[in-house]
Amino acid sequence: MSGDPLLRVQLDAGYASRAVLHDVRLELDFGEVLGLVGSSGAGKSTLVLSLLGLLPWRGGCVTGEVRLRGENLLQMPERQLRALRGRAVGFIPQSPMSALNPALSLERHFREAWRAHQRIVGDALKDRMYALLEEVQLPANRDFLGRRPAQISVGQAQRVLIALALLHEPSLLVADEPTSALDPVTQTQITELLRGLNRRHGASLLYVSHDLVSVLGLCHRIAVLDAGTIVENLNVEDLSCARHPATRRLLGTLPVPAEVLLRYRSQSSKKSYASTALG
Amino acid sequence: MRIRLLPVWLLVALALGASLIVALPGASYAYQDREHTLTGASLQHPAGTDELGRDRLVRVSAALLLSLAGALAASALTTAAAAAIGALAAFAPRGVAWLVMLVCDAFLALPWLFLLMMVRSALPLQASPAHSAAITFLVLAALGWPACARAVYSGGLGLKRSDWIMQARASGLRGAQLIRQVLPNLRPLLLPQFLVCVPAFVIAEANLGALGLGIGEPLPSWGGMLLELDNSALLFRTQWVYFPVALLILVLLLLEAIPVEA
Repeated sequence: MSGDPLLRVQLDAGYASRAVLHDVRLELDFGEVLGLVGSSGAGKSTLVLSLLGLLPWRGGCVTGEVRLRGENLLQMPERQLRALRGRAVGFIPQSPMSALNPALSLERHFREAWRAHQRIVGDALKDRMYALLEEVQLPANRDFLGRRPAQISVGQAQRVLIALALLHEPSLLVADEPTSALDPVTQTQITELLRGLNRRHGASLLYVSHDLVSVLGLCHRIAVLDAGTIVENLNVEDLSCARHPATRRLLGTLPVPAEVLLRYRSQSSKKSYASTALG
Repeated sequence: MRIRLLPVWLLVALALGASLIVALPGASYAYQDREHTLTGASLQHPAGTDELGRDRLVRVSAALLLSLAGALAASALTTAAAAAIGALAAFAPRGVAWLVMLVCDAFLALPWLFLLMMVRSALPLQASPAHSAAITFLVLAALGWPACARAVYSGGLGLKRSDWIMQARASGLRGAQLIRQVLPNLRPLLLPQFLVCVPAFVIAEANLGALGLGIGEPLPSWGGMLLELDNSALLFRTQWVYFPVALLILVLLLLEAIPVEA
Protein backbone atom coordinates (compact mmCIF):
# COMPACT_ATOMS: atom_id res chain seq x y z
CA MET A 1 0.00 0.00 0.00
CA SER A 2 1.44 3.35 -0.93
CA GLY A 3 1.00 6.22 1.47
CA ASP A 4 1.65 3.96 4.43
CA PRO A 5 4.54 4.94 6.63
CA LEU A 6 7.32 2.37 7.11
CA LEU A 7 6.15 1.63 10.63
CA ARG A 8 2.85 2.41 12.31
CA VAL A 9 2.36 1.25 15.86
CA GLN A 10 -0.66 1.26 18.11
CA LEU A 11 -0.38 -1.19 20.95
CA ASP A 12 -0.95 -2.18 24.56
CA ALA A 13 1.52 -4.46 26.26
CA GLY A 14 2.28 -5.90 29.65
CA TYR A 15 3.23 -8.88 31.71
CA ALA A 16 1.00 -11.29 33.52
CA SER A 17 0.83 -9.22 36.68
CA ARG A 18 0.83 -5.66 35.33
CA ALA A 19 0.18 -3.58 32.22
CA VAL A 20 3.19 -1.60 31.05
CA LEU A 21 2.18 0.18 27.85
CA HIS A 22 -1.26 1.67 27.14
CA ASP A 23 -2.26 2.86 23.73
CA VAL A 24 1.24 3.64 22.51
CA ARG A 25 1.05 5.26 19.06
CA LEU A 26 4.05 5.79 16.84
CA GLU A 27 4.81 6.39 13.21
CA LEU A 28 8.12 6.20 11.46
CA ASP A 29 8.68 7.29 7.88
CA PHE A 30 11.16 5.98 5.34
CA GLY A 31 14.61 7.41 6.04
CA GLU A 32 13.54 9.01 9.28
CA VAL A 33 15.29 8.84 12.65
CA LEU A 34 12.82 8.85 15.52
CA GLY A 35 14.13 9.25 19.05
CA LEU A 36 12.10 7.54 21.73
CA VAL A 37 13.03 8.94 25.11
CA GLY A 38 11.83 8.25 28.57
CA SER A 39 13.21 7.65 32.02
CA SER A 40 14.01 4.16 33.29
CA GLY A 41 10.91 2.09 33.86
CA ALA A 42 8.83 4.07 31.37
CA GLY A 43 8.46 0.92 29.25
CA LYS A 44 11.06 1.55 26.53
CA SER A 45 12.51 -1.96 26.46
CA THR A 46 9.05 -3.50 26.62
CA LEU A 47 8.07 -1.43 23.59
CA VAL A 48 11.16 -2.54 21.65
CA LEU A 49 10.51 -6.21 22.40
CA SER A 50 6.85 -5.76 21.41
CA LEU A 51 7.85 -4.31 18.05
CA LEU A 52 10.03 -7.34 17.30
CA GLY A 53 7.39 -9.78 18.51
CA LEU A 54 9.80 -10.97 21.19
CA LEU A 55 7.84 -9.99 24.28
CA PRO A 56 6.25 -13.45 24.71
CA TRP A 57 9.79 -14.86 25.32
CA ARG A 58 10.02 -12.57 28.34
CA GLY A 59 6.59 -13.70 29.52
CA GLY A 60 4.75 -10.66 28.20
CA CYS A 61 1.71 -10.13 26.02
CA VAL A 62 0.97 -7.54 23.30
CA THR A 63 -2.33 -6.46 21.76
CA GLY A 64 -2.97 -3.91 19.03
CA GLU A 65 -0.99 -3.60 15.85
CA VAL A 66 2.55 -3.12 14.62
CA ARG A 67 2.31 -2.40 10.90
CA LEU A 68 5.50 -2.68 8.89
CA ARG A 69 4.82 -1.46 5.34
CA GLY A 70 1.15 -1.97 6.08
CA GLU A 71 1.46 -5.56 7.32
CA ASN A 72 0.47 -6.29 10.90
CA LEU A 73 3.33 -8.16 12.57
CA LEU A 74 1.31 -9.05 15.64
CA GLN A 75 -1.07 -11.23 13.63
CA MET A 76 1.67 -13.05 11.79
CA PRO A 77 2.48 -16.66 12.63
CA GLU A 78 5.87 -17.06 14.35
CA ARG A 79 7.49 -18.65 11.27
CA GLN A 80 6.70 -15.63 9.13
CA LEU A 81 7.73 -13.25 11.87
CA ARG A 82 11.08 -15.00 12.27
CA ALA A 83 11.76 -14.53 8.59
CA LEU A 84 11.29 -10.78 9.04
CA ARG A 85 13.49 -10.42 12.14
CA GLY A 86 17.00 -9.55 11.12
CA ARG A 87 16.00 -9.27 7.45
CA ALA A 88 13.40 -6.48 7.48
CA VAL A 89 14.06 -5.23 11.01
CA GLY A 90 17.54 -5.02 12.48
CA PHE A 91 18.03 -4.83 16.22
CA ILE A 92 20.86 -3.16 18.13
CA PRO A 93 20.75 -4.11 21.82
CA GLN A 94 21.51 -2.27 25.00
CA SER A 95 24.40 -4.19 26.56
CA PRO A 96 26.80 -5.29 23.82
CA MET A 97 28.86 -7.63 25.98
CA SER A 98 26.01 -9.89 27.04
CA ALA A 99 24.35 -9.77 23.62
CA LEU A 100 27.09 -11.86 21.99
CA ASN A 101 27.34 -15.59 22.62
CA PRO A 102 30.54 -15.99 24.70
CA ALA A 103 31.29 -19.43 23.23
CA LEU A 104 31.27 -18.42 19.56
CA SER A 105 33.76 -16.52 17.43
CA LEU A 106 32.66 -13.27 15.80
CA GLU A 107 32.77 -14.93 12.40
CA ARG A 108 30.40 -17.62 13.61
CA HIS A 109 28.00 -14.88 14.75
CA PHE A 110 27.97 -13.48 11.23
CA ARG A 111 27.64 -16.92 9.67
CA GLU A 112 24.65 -17.92 11.85
CA ALA A 113 22.90 -14.58 11.29
CA TRP A 114 23.51 -14.99 7.55
CA ARG A 115 22.20 -18.54 7.46
CA ALA A 116 19.03 -17.51 9.24
CA HIS A 117 17.92 -15.85 6.00
CA GLN A 118 20.20 -17.06 3.20
CA ARG A 119 20.66 -20.54 1.82
CA ILE A 120 24.12 -20.18 0.37
CA VAL A 121 27.07 -19.42 2.61
CA GLY A 122 30.13 -18.49 0.61
CA ASP A 123 31.87 -15.54 -0.93
CA ALA A 124 28.69 -13.47 -0.71
CA LEU A 125 28.83 -13.65 3.08
CA LYS A 126 32.57 -13.02 3.16
CA ASP A 127 32.30 -9.92 0.96
CA ARG A 128 29.36 -8.60 2.95
CA MET A 129 31.12 -9.28 6.26
CA TYR A 130 34.29 -7.43 5.31
CA ALA A 131 32.33 -4.54 3.80
CA LEU A 132 30.34 -4.20 7.01
CA LEU A 133 33.41 -4.33 9.22
CA GLU A 134 34.86 -1.47 7.16
CA GLU A 135 31.58 0.37 7.47
CA VAL A 136 31.56 0.19 11.27
CA GLN A 137 35.30 0.93 11.42
CA LEU A 138 36.49 -2.41 12.73
CA PRO A 139 39.58 -4.28 11.52
CA ALA A 140 38.36 -6.31 8.55
CA ASN A 141 40.65 -9.32 8.83
CA ARG A 142 40.51 -12.97 9.79
CA ASP A 143 42.37 -12.48 13.03
CA PHE A 144 39.70 -10.13 14.32
CA LEU A 145 36.84 -12.33 13.12
CA GLY A 146 38.37 -15.32 14.89
CA ARG A 147 38.11 -13.64 18.28
CA ARG A 148 35.61 -14.43 20.97
CA PRO A 149 33.40 -11.72 22.46
CA ALA A 150 35.55 -11.70 25.63
CA GLN A 151 38.58 -10.72 23.53
CA ILE A 152 37.18 -7.43 22.22
CA SER A 153 36.26 -4.16 23.91
CA VAL A 154 32.71 -3.05 24.68
CA GLY A 155 32.86 -0.40 21.97
CA GLN A 156 34.03 -2.99 19.44
CA ALA A 157 31.26 -5.35 20.54
CA GLN A 158 28.67 -2.65 19.93
CA ARG A 159 30.12 -2.05 16.47
CA VAL A 160 29.97 -5.80 15.76
CA LEU A 161 26.31 -5.79 16.80
CA ILE A 162 25.60 -2.84 14.53
CA ALA A 163 27.29 -4.69 11.67
CA LEU A 164 25.20 -7.78 12.49
CA ALA A 165 22.03 -5.69 12.47
CA LEU A 166 22.97 -4.31 9.04
CA LEU A 167 23.83 -7.73 7.58
CA HIS A 168 20.65 -8.16 5.55
CA GLU A 169 20.17 -4.45 4.85
CA PRO A 170 16.94 -4.10 6.83
CA SER A 171 14.72 -1.15 6.05
CA LEU A 172 14.21 -0.50 9.76
CA LEU A 173 16.79 -0.45 12.53
CA VAL A 174 15.68 -0.55 16.15
CA ALA A 175 18.34 0.52 18.63
CA ASP A 176 17.58 -0.02 22.32
CA GLU A 177 19.81 2.37 24.27
CA PRO A 178 22.83 1.40 22.18
CA THR A 179 25.16 3.82 23.94
CA SER A 180 24.16 3.39 27.57
CA ALA A 181 26.91 0.86 28.34
CA LEU A 182 29.67 2.86 26.65
CA ASP A 183 32.10 5.54 27.75
CA PRO A 184 31.42 9.11 26.50
CA VAL A 185 33.98 9.03 23.68
CA THR A 186 32.69 5.70 22.33
CA GLN A 187 29.13 6.97 22.78
CA THR A 188 29.84 9.86 20.46
CA GLN A 189 31.53 7.57 17.93
CA ILE A 190 28.56 5.19 17.88
CA THR A 191 26.07 8.05 17.51
CA GLU A 192 28.17 9.41 14.64
CA LEU A 193 28.21 5.97 13.07
CA LEU A 194 24.43 5.63 13.25
CA ARG A 195 23.97 9.11 11.83
CA GLY A 196 26.30 8.22 8.95
CA LEU A 197 24.36 5.04 8.24
CA ASN A 198 21.12 6.96 8.08
CA ARG A 199 22.63 9.57 5.77
CA ARG A 200 24.45 7.16 3.46
CA HIS A 201 21.91 4.35 3.20
CA GLY A 202 18.70 6.11 4.18
CA ALA A 203 18.11 3.50 6.87
CA SER A 204 15.17 4.34 9.09
CA LEU A 205 16.08 4.24 12.73
CA LEU A 206 14.09 3.99 15.90
CA TYR A 207 16.55 5.21 18.48
CA VAL A 208 15.49 4.42 22.03
CA SER A 209 17.37 6.21 24.76
CA HIS A 210 17.21 8.05 28.05
CA ASP A 211 20.10 10.22 26.95
CA LEU A 212 18.60 13.36 25.42
CA VAL A 213 21.98 14.68 24.29
CA SER A 214 22.59 11.77 21.94
CA VAL A 215 18.98 11.93 20.76
CA LEU A 216 19.35 15.59 19.88
CA GLY A 217 22.54 14.81 18.01
CA LEU A 218 20.91 12.13 15.90
CA CYS A 219 17.13 12.30 15.53
CA HIS A 220 14.72 14.18 13.30
CA ARG A 221 11.73 13.65 15.52
CA ILE A 222 11.31 12.80 19.15
CA ALA A 223 8.64 10.91 21.07
CA VAL A 224 8.52 10.98 24.84
CA LEU A 225 7.37 7.86 26.65
CA ASP A 226 6.18 8.39 30.20
CA ALA A 227 4.42 5.88 32.45
CA GLY A 228 3.65 3.60 29.53
CA THR A 229 2.25 6.05 27.06
CA ILE A 230 3.53 8.56 24.50
CA VAL A 231 3.05 12.01 25.96
CA GLU A 232 4.84 14.12 23.39
CA ASN A 233 5.67 13.73 19.71
CA LEU A 234 7.39 16.57 17.89
CA ASN A 235 10.24 17.59 15.62
CA VAL A 236 13.50 18.19 17.47
CA GLU A 237 13.50 21.81 16.26
CA ASP A 238 10.25 22.41 18.14
CA LEU A 239 11.50 20.88 21.35
CA SER A 240 11.44 24.19 23.19
CA CYS A 241 7.66 24.30 22.69
CA ALA A 242 7.20 21.05 24.62
CA ARG A 243 4.56 21.32 27.34
CA HIS A 244 4.36 17.97 29.08
CA PRO A 245 6.04 17.84 32.51
CA ALA A 246 7.94 14.64 31.57
CA THR A 247 9.46 16.37 28.56
CA ARG A 248 10.27 19.48 30.60
CA ARG A 249 11.94 17.24 33.17
CA LEU A 250 14.07 15.64 30.47
CA LEU A 251 14.96 19.03 29.03
CA GLY A 252 15.97 20.12 32.51
CA THR A 253 18.68 17.47 32.56
CA LEU A 254 20.46 18.97 29.55
CA PRO A 255 23.75 20.69 30.39
CA VAL A 256 23.01 23.46 27.84
CA PRO A 257 19.72 24.53 26.20
CA ALA A 258 18.47 22.24 23.43
CA GLU A 259 18.84 25.02 20.83
CA VAL A 260 22.58 25.19 21.43
CA LEU A 261 22.94 21.42 20.92
CA LEU A 262 20.89 21.57 17.72
CA ARG A 263 22.96 24.44 16.37
CA TYR A 264 26.11 22.50 17.18
CA ARG A 265 24.66 19.46 15.37
CA SER A 266 23.89 21.34 12.19
CA GLN A 267 27.41 22.74 12.22
CA SER A 268 29.11 19.43 12.88
CA SER A 269 27.04 17.59 10.29
CA LYS A 270 27.99 20.26 7.73
CA LYS A 271 31.59 19.83 8.77
CA SER A 272 31.50 16.04 8.47
CA TYR A 273 29.58 16.34 5.22
CA ALA A 274 32.33 18.62 3.93
CA SER A 275 35.02 16.20 5.05
CA THR A 276 33.32 13.23 3.36
CA ALA A 277 32.86 15.34 0.22
CA LEU A 278 36.52 16.25 0.25
CA GLY A 279 37.62 12.69 1.09
CA MET B 1 52.69 -31.35 28.97
CA ARG B 2 51.21 -29.55 31.89
CA ILE B 3 51.55 -30.88 35.40
CA ARG B 4 47.81 -30.40 35.95
CA LEU B 5 47.10 -33.12 33.44
CA LEU B 6 49.51 -35.58 35.05
CA PRO B 7 46.71 -37.95 36.19
CA VAL B 8 45.45 -38.16 32.60
CA TRP B 9 48.91 -39.07 31.30
CA LEU B 10 49.41 -41.65 34.05
CA LEU B 11 46.06 -43.23 33.18
CA VAL B 12 46.97 -43.29 29.50
CA ALA B 13 50.31 -44.92 30.41
CA LEU B 14 48.52 -47.53 32.54
CA ALA B 15 46.06 -48.30 29.75
CA LEU B 16 48.88 -48.59 27.19
CA GLY B 17 50.83 -50.90 29.48
CA ALA B 18 47.74 -53.02 30.06
CA SER B 19 47.07 -53.23 26.31
CA LEU B 20 50.65 -54.35 25.76
CA ILE B 21 50.34 -57.10 28.37
CA VAL B 22 47.02 -58.33 26.97
CA ALA B 23 48.37 -58.26 23.42
CA LEU B 24 51.53 -60.24 24.23
CA PRO B 25 51.70 -63.60 22.41
CA GLY B 26 50.57 -66.36 24.70
CA ALA B 27 48.73 -64.02 27.06
CA SER B 28 45.19 -65.24 27.74
CA TYR B 29 42.88 -64.15 30.51
CA ALA B 30 41.02 -67.47 30.36
CA TYR B 31 43.87 -69.99 30.09
CA GLN B 32 44.07 -72.17 33.20
CA ASP B 33 47.54 -73.31 34.27
CA ARG B 34 46.44 -76.26 36.43
CA GLU B 35 50.01 -76.87 37.62
CA HIS B 36 50.19 -73.50 39.35
CA THR B 37 47.03 -72.42 41.13
CA LEU B 38 46.97 -69.53 43.58
CA THR B 39 50.68 -68.88 43.42
CA GLY B 40 52.68 -65.76 44.17
CA ALA B 41 54.90 -63.93 41.72
CA SER B 42 57.06 -66.10 39.48
CA LEU B 43 58.88 -65.65 36.19
CA GLN B 44 56.05 -67.30 34.32
CA HIS B 45 53.30 -65.37 36.16
CA PRO B 46 54.73 -62.00 37.33
CA ALA B 47 51.70 -61.34 39.56
CA GLY B 48 50.85 -64.93 40.37
CA THR B 49 47.76 -66.92 39.44
CA ASP B 50 44.24 -67.23 40.81
CA GLU B 51 42.40 -70.28 42.16
CA LEU B 52 41.97 -71.65 38.65
CA GLY B 53 45.57 -71.01 37.64
CA ARG B 54 44.82 -68.02 35.43
CA ASP B 55 47.52 -65.36 35.10
CA ARG B 56 46.67 -62.52 37.46
CA LEU B 57 48.61 -59.82 35.61
CA VAL B 58 46.84 -60.52 32.32
CA ARG B 59 43.47 -60.67 34.05
CA VAL B 60 44.04 -57.40 35.92
CA SER B 61 45.20 -55.72 32.70
CA ALA B 62 42.16 -56.92 30.79
CA ALA B 63 39.86 -55.88 33.65
CA LEU B 64 41.43 -52.42 33.70
CA LEU B 65 40.92 -51.96 29.96
CA LEU B 66 37.40 -53.33 30.03
CA SER B 67 36.30 -51.23 32.97
CA LEU B 68 37.91 -48.02 31.68
CA ALA B 69 36.50 -48.47 28.18
CA GLY B 70 33.08 -49.39 29.52
CA ALA B 71 32.98 -46.56 32.04
CA LEU B 72 34.13 -44.00 29.46
CA ALA B 73 31.56 -45.17 26.93
CA ALA B 74 28.76 -45.29 29.50
CA SER B 75 29.74 -41.86 30.80
CA ALA B 76 29.81 -40.37 27.30
CA LEU B 77 26.42 -41.91 26.60
CA THR B 78 24.85 -40.72 29.83
CA THR B 79 26.29 -37.19 29.46
CA ALA B 80 25.08 -36.93 25.86
CA ALA B 81 21.62 -38.13 26.87
CA ALA B 82 21.55 -35.66 29.75
CA ALA B 83 22.64 -32.80 27.47
CA ALA B 84 20.00 -33.61 24.88
CA ILE B 85 17.19 -34.16 27.37
CA GLY B 86 18.10 -31.21 29.61
CA ALA B 87 18.48 -28.78 26.69
CA LEU B 88 15.26 -30.02 25.14
CA ALA B 89 13.35 -29.55 28.39
CA ALA B 90 14.80 -26.06 28.89
CA PHE B 91 13.71 -24.90 25.42
CA ALA B 92 10.44 -26.82 25.19
CA PRO B 93 7.08 -25.46 26.36
CA ARG B 94 6.60 -25.54 30.10
CA GLY B 95 4.31 -28.60 30.05
CA VAL B 96 6.90 -30.71 28.24
CA ALA B 97 9.62 -29.55 30.63
CA TRP B 98 7.48 -30.54 33.60
CA LEU B 99 6.90 -33.99 32.14
CA VAL B 100 10.59 -34.54 31.40
CA MET B 101 11.57 -33.51 34.91
CA LEU B 102 8.94 -35.89 36.28
CA VAL B 103 10.56 -38.73 34.35
CA CYS B 104 13.92 -37.65 35.79
CA ASP B 105 12.53 -37.78 39.30
CA ALA B 106 11.04 -41.20 38.64
CA PHE B 107 14.44 -42.45 37.47
CA LEU B 108 16.16 -40.97 40.51
CA ALA B 109 13.61 -42.66 42.76
CA LEU B 110 14.18 -46.10 41.22
CA PRO B 111 15.80 -48.66 43.50
CA TRP B 112 18.58 -49.19 40.98
CA LEU B 113 20.28 -52.16 42.64
CA PHE B 114 17.00 -54.01 42.56
CA LEU B 115 16.53 -52.98 38.94
CA LEU B 116 19.94 -54.36 38.06
CA MET B 117 19.14 -57.68 39.73
CA MET B 118 15.89 -57.80 37.79
CA VAL B 119 17.58 -57.10 34.48
CA ARG B 120 20.30 -59.64 35.17
CA SER B 121 17.86 -62.32 36.26
CA ALA B 122 15.73 -61.67 33.20
CA LEU B 123 18.71 -62.53 31.02
CA PRO B 124 19.06 -66.12 29.92
CA LEU B 125 21.64 -68.00 31.98
CA GLN B 126 23.81 -68.66 28.98
CA ALA B 127 24.10 -64.96 28.08
CA SER B 128 27.61 -64.51 26.77
CA PRO B 129 30.15 -62.69 28.99
CA ALA B 130 30.46 -59.95 26.35
CA HIS B 131 26.70 -59.39 26.52
CA SER B 132 26.77 -59.24 30.28
CA ALA B 133 29.52 -56.58 30.13
CA ALA B 134 27.60 -54.50 27.59
CA ILE B 135 24.39 -54.77 29.59
CA THR B 136 26.09 -53.83 32.84
CA PHE B 137 27.46 -50.60 31.40
CA LEU B 138 24.26 -49.84 29.48
CA VAL B 139 22.22 -50.12 32.68
CA LEU B 140 24.71 -47.86 34.46
CA ALA B 141 24.41 -45.31 31.64
CA ALA B 142 20.63 -45.55 31.73
CA LEU B 143 20.66 -44.81 35.46
CA GLY B 144 23.26 -42.04 35.36
CA TRP B 145 21.59 -39.38 33.22
CA PRO B 146 18.72 -37.95 35.33
CA ALA B 147 20.84 -36.09 37.89
CA CYS B 148 22.95 -34.61 35.12
CA ALA B 149 19.88 -33.77 33.02
CA ARG B 150 18.50 -31.71 35.91
CA ALA B 151 21.71 -29.70 36.07
CA VAL B 152 21.66 -29.16 32.30
CA TYR B 153 17.99 -28.15 32.50
CA SER B 154 18.57 -25.43 35.06
CA GLY B 155 21.69 -24.26 33.21
CA GLY B 156 19.69 -24.20 29.97
CA LEU B 157 16.90 -22.17 31.59
CA GLY B 158 19.45 -19.55 32.56
CA LEU B 159 20.80 -19.45 29.01
CA LYS B 160 17.28 -19.26 27.58
CA ARG B 161 16.70 -15.96 29.36
CA SER B 162 20.13 -14.60 28.46
CA ASP B 163 20.59 -11.46 26.40
CA TRP B 164 22.45 -13.21 23.62
CA ILE B 165 19.63 -15.67 23.04
CA MET B 166 17.26 -12.72 22.77
CA GLN B 167 19.70 -11.10 20.36
CA ALA B 168 19.86 -14.33 18.34
CA ARG B 169 16.07 -14.42 18.18
CA ALA B 170 16.02 -10.78 17.11
CA SER B 171 18.40 -11.74 14.29
CA GLY B 172 15.83 -14.28 13.13
CA LEU B 173 17.79 -17.43 13.99
CA ARG B 174 15.89 -20.70 13.62
CA GLY B 175 15.12 -22.98 16.58
CA ALA B 176 17.75 -25.53 15.56
CA GLN B 177 20.35 -22.78 15.23
CA LEU B 178 19.53 -21.58 18.74
CA ILE B 179 20.02 -25.05 20.23
CA ARG B 180 23.36 -25.38 18.42
CA GLN B 181 24.42 -22.04 19.89
CA VAL B 182 23.47 -23.16 23.38
CA LEU B 183 25.41 -26.44 23.39
CA PRO B 184 28.96 -24.98 23.51
CA ASN B 185 27.86 -22.90 26.47
CA LEU B 186 26.89 -26.05 28.35
CA ARG B 187 30.45 -27.40 28.08
CA PRO B 188 31.57 -26.10 31.49
CA LEU B 189 28.61 -28.02 32.91
CA LEU B 190 28.94 -31.22 30.89
CA LEU B 191 32.67 -31.85 31.19
CA PRO B 192 32.66 -32.13 35.01
CA GLN B 193 29.55 -34.31 34.79
CA PHE B 194 31.35 -36.61 32.39
CA LEU B 195 34.47 -36.74 34.56
CA VAL B 196 32.47 -37.41 37.71
CA CYS B 197 30.58 -40.26 36.07
CA VAL B 198 33.68 -42.21 34.97
CA PRO B 199 35.02 -43.20 38.43
CA ALA B 200 31.46 -43.61 39.69
CA PHE B 201 30.80 -46.17 36.96
CA VAL B 202 34.13 -47.95 37.54
CA ILE B 203 33.31 -48.40 41.22
CA ALA B 204 29.68 -49.31 40.46
CA GLU B 205 30.85 -52.04 38.10
CA ALA B 206 33.29 -53.32 40.73
CA ASN B 207 30.57 -53.40 43.38
CA LEU B 208 28.11 -55.14 41.07
CA GLY B 209 30.76 -57.68 40.10
CA ALA B 210 31.46 -58.41 43.75
CA LEU B 211 27.74 -59.13 44.15
CA GLY B 212 27.90 -61.43 41.15
CA LEU B 213 25.68 -59.09 39.11
CA GLY B 214 28.29 -57.58 36.86
CA ILE B 215 30.38 -58.90 34.05
CA GLY B 216 30.18 -62.68 33.66
CA GLU B 217 33.12 -65.09 33.92
CA PRO B 218 35.49 -65.87 32.30
CA LEU B 219 35.75 -62.16 31.36
CA PRO B 220 37.89 -60.54 34.02
CA SER B 221 36.43 -57.66 35.99
CA TRP B 222 37.38 -55.74 39.12
CA GLY B 223 34.33 -57.14 40.84
CA GLY B 224 35.15 -60.74 39.98
CA MET B 225 38.68 -60.34 41.30
CA LEU B 226 37.51 -58.62 44.47
CA LEU B 227 35.45 -61.74 45.16
CA GLU B 228 38.70 -63.55 45.92
CA LEU B 229 39.13 -61.29 48.92
CA ASP B 230 36.09 -62.61 50.78
CA ASN B 231 37.73 -66.00 51.22
CA SER B 232 40.05 -65.50 54.18
CA ALA B 233 41.68 -68.87 53.58
CA LEU B 234 43.07 -67.59 50.27
CA LEU B 235 44.40 -64.39 51.83
CA PHE B 236 47.03 -66.33 53.77
CA ARG B 237 48.29 -68.20 50.69
CA THR B 238 49.72 -65.19 48.85
CA GLN B 239 49.83 -61.40 49.23
CA TRP B 240 49.24 -61.04 45.49
CA VAL B 241 45.46 -61.41 45.88
CA TYR B 242 45.56 -57.77 47.06
CA PHE B 243 47.08 -56.65 43.73
CA PRO B 244 43.75 -56.04 41.88
CA VAL B 245 42.24 -54.01 44.70
CA ALA B 246 45.42 -51.92 45.02
CA LEU B 247 45.38 -51.17 41.30
CA LEU B 248 41.66 -50.38 41.39
CA ILE B 249 42.25 -47.84 44.17
CA LEU B 250 45.11 -46.30 42.17
CA VAL B 251 42.96 -46.00 39.04
CA LEU B 252 40.11 -44.44 41.01
CA LEU B 253 42.50 -41.98 42.65
CA LEU B 254 43.84 -40.96 39.25
CA LEU B 255 40.33 -40.59 37.82
CA GLU B 256 39.29 -38.42 40.75
CA ALA B 257 42.44 -36.33 40.41
CA ILE B 258 41.69 -35.22 36.84
CA PRO B 259 41.07 -31.47 37.05
CA VAL B 260 37.40 -30.92 36.21
CA GLU B 261 37.95 -27.57 34.53
CA ALA B 262 40.59 -29.04 32.19
